[in-house]
Amino acid sequence: MFLGLDVGGTFTDGVAVSAGKIISTVKTPTTHNNLLECILRAIDKVVLDTGNKNFERIALSTTIVTNALVEDKIDKVGLCIMPGPGMNIKDALPKAPYIVSGYIDHRGHEVARPKEEEVMAACRHFSSCDIFAISGKFAVRNSSYESMIADWIREKVKPSHISLGARVSGSLNFLRRTNSAYYNGAVWRHFNQFATAVEDALLSRGICGPVYVLKADGGTLPLAVAREFPVEAIFTGPAASVLGIMSMHPTRGPAVSLDIGGTTTDIALWQKGTPIFAEQGAKVAGYATSVRAFRLKSIGIGGDSFVRWEKNALKVGPVRYGPAMAVGGSKPTITDAMIAIGLIEFGDKQLAINAMKELALEGQTPYEVANMALDEAVTCIYQAVMSLLAEQEAEPVYRVEDIVQGRRINIEQILGVGGGAIGLIPLVAKKMGLSYHLPDHGMVANAIGAAVARPTLDLTLRADTVEGYYTVAELDIKSRLPKSRFTLEDASLLAEQHLAELAKVNGIFLGETELIQAEEFNVIRGFNTVGKIITCRLQVKPGVLLPSKEVF
Amino acid sequence: MANQKLGLVFFPAFDWAISPAHPEREERLLYTRDQIVEEGLLDMPCIREYKPQIAQYKDLERVHIGVPDLSSLITNAHLVSAGGAIAAADAVMRREVDRTFALVRPPGHHAMRVVHGTRGFCTINIEAIMVEYLRKTYGIGKVAIVDTDVHHGDGTQDVFYHDPNTLFISFHQDGRTLYPGTGFTNEMGSPNALGTTLNIPLPPGTTDAGLHEVLDHLILPVLNDFKPDIIINSAGQDNHYSDPLANMAITAQGYARLADKLKADIAVLEGGYSIENALPYVNVGIILAMAGMDYSKVIEPDIATCPVQSSAVTRSITAIIKERQNMWATKEKLQQEAIAQAGQFWQRERSIYYDDAGIDERQKEVVRLCPNCSGYVTIETEAHGMFGYKSAYIATIPNYACPTCQKAAYDAAYKAKKQGKQQLYFVQNKMEDRLEIM
Repeated sequence: MFLGLDVGGTFTDGVAVSAGKIISTVKTPTTHNNLLECILRAIDKVVLDTGNKNFERIALSTTIVTNALVEDKIDKVGLCIMPGPGMNIKDALPKAPYIVSGYIDHRGHEVARPKEEEVMAACRHFSSCDIFAISGKFAVRNSSYESMIADWIREKVKPSHISLGARVSGSLNFLRRTNSAYYNGAVWRHFNQFATAVEDALLSRGICGPVYVLKADGGTLPLAVAREFPVEAIFTGPAASVLGIMSMHPTRGPAVSLDIGGTTTDIALWQKGTPIFAEQGAKVAGYATSVRAFRLKSIGIGGDSFVRWEKNALKVGPVRYGPAMAVGGSKPTITDAMIAIGLIEFGDKQLAINAMKELALEGQTPYEVANMALDEAVTCIYQAVMSLLAEQEAEPVYRVEDIVQGRRINIEQILGVGGGAIGLIPLVAKKMGLSYHLPDHGMVANAIGAAVARPTLDLTLRADTVEGYYTVAELDIKSRLPKSRFTLEDASLLAEQHLAELAKVNGIFLGETELIQAEEFNVIRGFNTVGKIITCRLQVKPGVLLPSKEVF
Repeated sequence: MANQKLGLVFFPAFDWAISPAHPEREERLLYTRDQIVEEGLLDMPCIREYKPQIAQYKDLERVHIGVPDLSSLITNAHLVSAGGAIAAADAVMRREVDRTFALVRPPGHHAMRVVHGTRGFCTINIEAIMVEYLRKTYGIGKVAIVDTDVHHGDGTQDVFYHDPNTLFISFHQDGRTLYPGTGFTNEMGSPNALGTTLNIPLPPGTTDAGLHEVLDHLILPVLNDFKPDIIINSAGQDNHYSDPLANMAITAQGYARLADKLKADIAVLEGGYSIENALPYVNVGIILAMAGMDYSKVIEPDIATCPVQSSAVTRSITAIIKERQNMWATKEKLQQEAIAQAGQFWQRERSIYYDDAGIDERQKEVVRLCPNCSGYVTIETEAHGMFGYKSAYIATIPNYACPTCQKAAYDAAYKAKKQGKQQLYFVQNKMEDRLEIM
């Protein structure tokens, strides 16, 4: 039995899934000042429902990291960077770094060794810090200097935690890795306290099962690994919903999913039955990071969106003043419009009609104004879908073939989940001329997603046959190539082995893997090919822990 | 950094090469890509990345006449590269950014008006195509192109040789010592456009110091005097001290300061073949400078190997600056003399060698020295190569041609066709924006 929990802005949802069936669902208000309280309340309810205390897996999607950042419950981090030559990065970071000399070049060559006395000076500079983050340019090509500095710091000040850029992400982008390493350090203590509290509470209730935490890319991390990389646990709410849809999504054609909640609509794009990833990492507190995430867009339109007149135009959202008037709210909302028209049955219909009457201009019926409000909401959603599609199409590509073929996604279907979906999705589908699908249990899609999300991992293997080495930054590996004629195929086989190793270390099941980047370039000296530079990035395919035919 | 300053069209064409071991091959911008991405440059709020478009044949035909036709001479890569330059132009003209850098392959500045094949790694001239696109789409009048590639931009010179509204400035390693062996000081434009081609051949071994002498005392004052509506930088990067195809001694800092002072509206990448030791640093330096960011920390790891400028080199640079300043100051007089000497028509005969394609071309070019417009041009071309023999007769009507020249150009083409000496007859009508096959 899988247990999934999603701590949302308003509600904390829980589901128990057994043999591809949902056997318990819980919805309980989120207790923002003590997240543990609502999590345990949801778990207790599921245990009561199912009479089961042994779970195959307990997976958690939580706002703990996001909240830590928003509420500024973050630690001071001693940030040491090795930028080498290039852009002056220091003003682009969320915190003033200490710059250490020493650098690795783009081929992974050790050009200048870092100086121990500078690192000692950095320790003095950050004397009040118990947590450090270290990041070096091109450390993903050779992480030895990052490790060297970490060793020196460990020896000198014995900090509680050190985040290394190349371990946080194996992809190029020094700026993003540095930001990721910094935030990882900044939320480390808070997340670890939370993790310990969750484990203790489960133990005291006699509930058994390995605990996982959801990532922004929809994968799950064993709690022990998440303790080292807590920044990965940010923005998991929308990811959970996307995964929930994946478990309920019967088509494999290009699609768009809309999770319409009370305040916002989260939009994601789909191809071949899987959500599309953002090419770049997510932004944290306004800073670009290497945290992998789905390509999502969130707009301020939801069931509780406030409807009002502004300069002769009917406006909807992003403001929200509480629930619909039909259920005792004080201002007209989109939900009232849907109830008044009869799209959904909920609360007191007369109150909803009154809400629309309040809005109606002279000579306008409540029905007309409700339609106008819904039109406005649908138009906002439609425009957001179009702009997300345009963003996806505008993603730069670096091969002639990709430009010529283009990247158009011709959406075939709309998938709708969330409280506002039943009323709004048919209208959006009509506007876009598409079919739609509203899966059952759409209200708790997030918790389902958390319950069934398959663990994912990715790593980047880069081989330089001229130098005779390959590196895997995530595993801190730099090794000689196993054979002389090393090909892209060899590289992907080797990457597969290392991914299996990484999966084992992280205690996750390897499952199906896929190559997400494969590049091979000849290195030529004079007019002779002297070797190759091969890069391949491999991931455990994101998905759900269900046989493909079993959908909810 | 509130406004987006720099638009970057980055298109490394990772699936296109002239041939597997050719300098112009897949990984030419690989290390540049690595450096740009690793720096996090594309995440900077003052930099916005653009995707190239696919250029239309109509865009190409405003500049080129392909013999027998362009489509059999180019690949999709060329359409994307030219489309990259066009995307860069659009971003600036729509004021989405202050300036743009089209960091694209394949390059174009050796491609001339008539195209029989590939020469100097270039088949179509992406800057020239962009310039004519700017004129047609946005009505831009005066254009200055500053070619900072180590090789003379002979193709761009050829395209604009008779156009008084396009100032073409090229500094390069002296043509006596380097491909394509042109770009001497006596190439100043045909009489109606005399002076708007400005060649500055520099001695091998010129360093940042020499280059900035030229920039400060010649190029910038001339630009200031010409007052172009737009400045284009044909941004070749093979003046770098580590470039394998040339012998100059410019550094990444030298290039970045050049970009900073030049303040080109649009830069388009040309050559640069030190793909591992120079391009990542030079490109990052130029991007930072164009984006108005701090580039002082961009330094090559092997900077100690950069030679110093000899006093002989310094002397000859001083001399050429002086000589070119004089030419610029007296160009009206030189022009009157040239027109008086040529009479009604100016003509020249040339051989053009296509090194990448092994083609020998002979060309006879005639320009009418019209008092009312820049005059129509006729070209007789014949080429020998692996394919055998190709010939064509071309009449070109410039933008803003007078009615007399328009009619005369057609008359010339009809007359040539009647005589039947060539295989193909074209009228490139820039006023009506079409290439006609007669």
